[in-house]
Amino acid sequence: MLFFSFFKTLTNQTVTIELKNDIRIRGTLKSVDQYLNIKLDDVDVLDLDKYPHLSSVKNMFIRGSVVRYVMLPRSEVDVGLLEDATRREAANQAGKAR
Amino acid sequence: MSFFGFDTTLPNKKGFFDNSDPFAEVARARAAGQQDDDDDAIDFEDTYDGLGDQLNEDQDAFNDDTFGDVGEAAPVGKDFDFFGRTAQVADAFGEEQVRYNLQYPAPSEGVAETTTQTNAVQEPKPKRTGYEKYEDPGYIPDLQAKSSVWGVSKKPEEPIYEPPAARRILSLEEVEAQLRQSSARSTLLAQPPVSLPPGIPEPLYPPQQMPLLPEIFSQIPPEILQAQLAKGVPPAQLLQHLPQPMVPEPYSLPPQAPPGIPLHLLQNANFPPQHMVPPPQRHAMPPRPLQQQPPLPPQALQGANNPMPVITNPQQLMQLPEEQRMAYLLEDAKRAKRNHKIFLLSRFNGLMTPQDKNFITRIQLQQLVAAAGNVGDSDPEAVLAEDFYYQVYSQIRGAPRQHPHQPLGHFAQTYLFQTGNRFGGHGGRRNGQNADNHMQRMQQQVQRAVEAAKAKPKNKQLIIEGSLGKISFSNAKAPRTMLNIKRPESSEGGKTAKKAQTDLSLTDRKSILNSIENVYNNLMAMEDMERTMPPPPDESDPEAIQRHMEWRQKVRSLNQKLWQALKVMEPIVPNANTPHPFIAFLSYPKGKKAIPRIFRQIDQEQRVTILTMIVVHLDTLDVVRRSQLAPGESLSLDVREAVELFSQAVMPSLLMYVSEAPFNIIIGLLGLVIAQTHVQTVAKTRIGLGILTMMLSRAEIVKEAGQAEERDWQQWVEKFNVLFDTLEPIFADIFPASINAGDDMYVWQFLAAVGIGASPEQQQRLVIAVKDRVMETVNYSKTLPPDMGSQRLGNVNLFMRAIGLDVELLG
Repeated sequence: MLFFSFFKTLTNQTVTIELKNDIRIRGTLKSVDQYLNIKLDDVDVLDLDKYPHLSSVKNMFIRGSVVRYVMLPRSEVDVGLLEDATRREAANQAGKAR
Repeated sequence: MSFFGFDTTLPNKKGFFDNSDPFAEVARARAAGQQDDDDDAIDFEDTYDGLGDQLNEDQDAFNDDTFGDVGEAAPVGKDFDFFGRTAQVADAFGEEQVRYNLQYPAPSEGVAETTTQTNAVQEPKPKRTGYEKYEDPGYIPDLQAKSSVWGVSKKPEEPIYEPPAARRILSLEEVEAQLRQSSARSTLLAQPPVSLPPGIPEPLYPPQQMPLLPEIFSQIPPEILQAQLAKGVPPAQLLQHLPQPMVPEPYSLPPQAPPGIPLHLLQNANFPPQHMVPPPQRHAMPPRPLQQQPPLPPQALQGANNPMPVITNPQQLMQLPEEQRMAYLLEDAKRAKRNHKIFLLSRFNGLMTPQDKNFITRIQLQQLVAAAGNVGDSDPEAVLAEDFYYQVYSQIRGAPRQHPHQPLGHFAQTYLFQTGNRFGGHGGRRNGQNADNHMQRMQQQVQRAVEAAKAKPKNKQLIIEGSLGKISFSNAKAPRTMLNIKRPESSEGGKTAKKAQTDLSLTDRKSILNSIENVYNNLMAMEDMERTMPPPPDESDPEAIQRHMEWRQKVRSLNQKLWQALKVMEPIVPNANTPHPFIAFLSYPKGKKAIPRIFRQIDQEQRVTILTMIVVHLDTLDVVRRSQLAPGESLSLDVREAVELFSQAVMPSLLMYVSEAPFNIIIGLLGLVIAQTHVQTVAKTRIGLGILTMMLSRAEIVKEAGQAEERDWQQWVEKFNVLFDTLEPIFADIFPASINAGDDMYVWQFLAAVGIGASPEQQQRLVIAVKDRVMETVNYSKTLPPDMGSQRLGNVNLFMRAIGLDVELLG
């Protein structure tokens, strides 16, 4: 649940999401769930010329499985904390696997 | 030739009537049926009360008068031998039975088929006893409502629901004609006489599983049926709409469910469905065709809370003022729309009984519970384990929005509560109490499910024999199914082998990173301990003291583990090729970052040990070693980053300790620097100078405060002189290579620290050594923008003032 936990802290931040079909969408992250489905508001599609059909879309729900990257605002990430969270997650996983 | 003209000589057709003891079969069947019930055979002798013995049996004298004289009568004919006669057609009975069963394989299809497949039944038939149907506990002996008896004429306009001619009562002549015809044919074809002409049913042996549906319909006044059918209401639902009393009394539905009708339909037929809008009115007036029924006046539906005037006839409506009339009509239209919608939806009413719904709800709740895994515990520990980053981040920076974390346990509770309300909402329901019980049972079940889920968390995984890993099922917390690779049995052995390897090569990158991780894990464990610190013990509460003691004990052991993981106490090997493990630890950014956290968890003695370790290895420290520059070189980016990180992460911790350290330790440290390290190398780096500055300024503060003993001070001055003498030749070289290379404040700080502690003679030598650089900087700062220039001048002035001068004096 690390990623879920992490993305939750980014709600109401502006993120850029690159989908597996190369579409990149910038918008305000409204919510995320444990499948990493993402709800975006005030979306801007980068390279709008290529995807004119998206020009009128203002908000969207993105299925988690089609996301390739999420580009985050760097200032909103607490790296040290994230490292510790990762260590904890790894410890949890190791505990479960045994 | 038999009585019915049937050929009874077919081979291998033994049946009921061929048996010498026809009822033996029944007895056998019954015995078989009762085997599991009750084995107590009732003995005649046990139960006979002997009343028969008291009968007066002596008055048989006039029996002959009464019953006729047997002796002189004509020989007894065979015409009473019904058994024998019937036995001759026994096969026909069996065949008819089989044929019928084939024709009406399932009761529900009973209406559709006619007797067209009579010829298809020539296969060998199983032996029949004729009593099979009595073995079926659910058997209902033919309840055939013969409407003709009641004078209700058949409706020819219901052809679909009327099994063709099945109900027709044939006259004797017709029967005989049929039989004659069939026997003639049977002799013709030399076939079993089952092939009755199509379309003519078997009047004498009416089918045992008569479909009941049409019968019931035939009891309903035809107008209603037609009206309903015209609306396309399926017959099954028609039945459901029928209130029980509608059916004439003698033909009311049998207490058991008739075979053709799904159970839940009947259940619903027994109590009127709640949401059904029209039914009571509709069926209350049977003879009236429904379609002509005027729409219900709206008040009838919601009269009580309707603010509108009660309107019973159109005239009243006309008399209303325009506005009100419009409003009324609008309301009316709305209601009509709503009623229509309800009517449309009501088609699906009763598809699920409340029991069905509860069942579904229960399944859903259980899945919810199972998915949540360990619901009930909204325990902060568990939450922290699952959601560490978010929880801590929110605490640090403030939650980005209102607390979205809602424990699932709470959610499940809420949900249960709501369902309870929903079911309780049907006040006045006959089985309201049952519903309550049901909810209670459901809650209990959910609770049990929760406990079960808690009790065996192992069930989350599936291990298939012989597979490499195990499959863990997804749940709300881990939605993706994972394949966990099975650990080998000898995991312990593997670990020790690994450890040995670690010991062998303390310096390779991987093992260093491993040990850093180890340190972090210990750190996290200790920080967790901090959170669980019990409140300061009350003197009078031995239990609290005990708890506190235990906690302290744990902290101590964790501290020891951390200390070992740091490897500070590894023996120092002089002139070794590889750096000391702790110095290697510090050479990674992760290691540097760990220092502040480590310093929080360790005591003063451990801190001074670490400081000593760093000072002793000052010239092998990566930030010192890699900062050595040949003339004309500048620091590479990663070295600069490392230096920056070191001065931000490690130096403050060291400084914090040094600023409180006793004087003798400072003296000892300075001695170590001079004795153990290449001072000139150290002094050419920012970190080295920083540490030296730290110690010099601490000594000065101690001296200013008058805390230094004379003897200590003498020692210090000795050391200082050595240091000064060592550094004097390179004072000009400790600056960054070029004057415009940027920040040289740390050098001026160091020089200031040296200057303060120096004797006047040393100060002069110092000024001479750095005079050029001072002049250069002053001149250079004049070419810079005012703010940057004054900053550079300020740095220089830091040194100048330390030796009692000022840049202003330089003109």
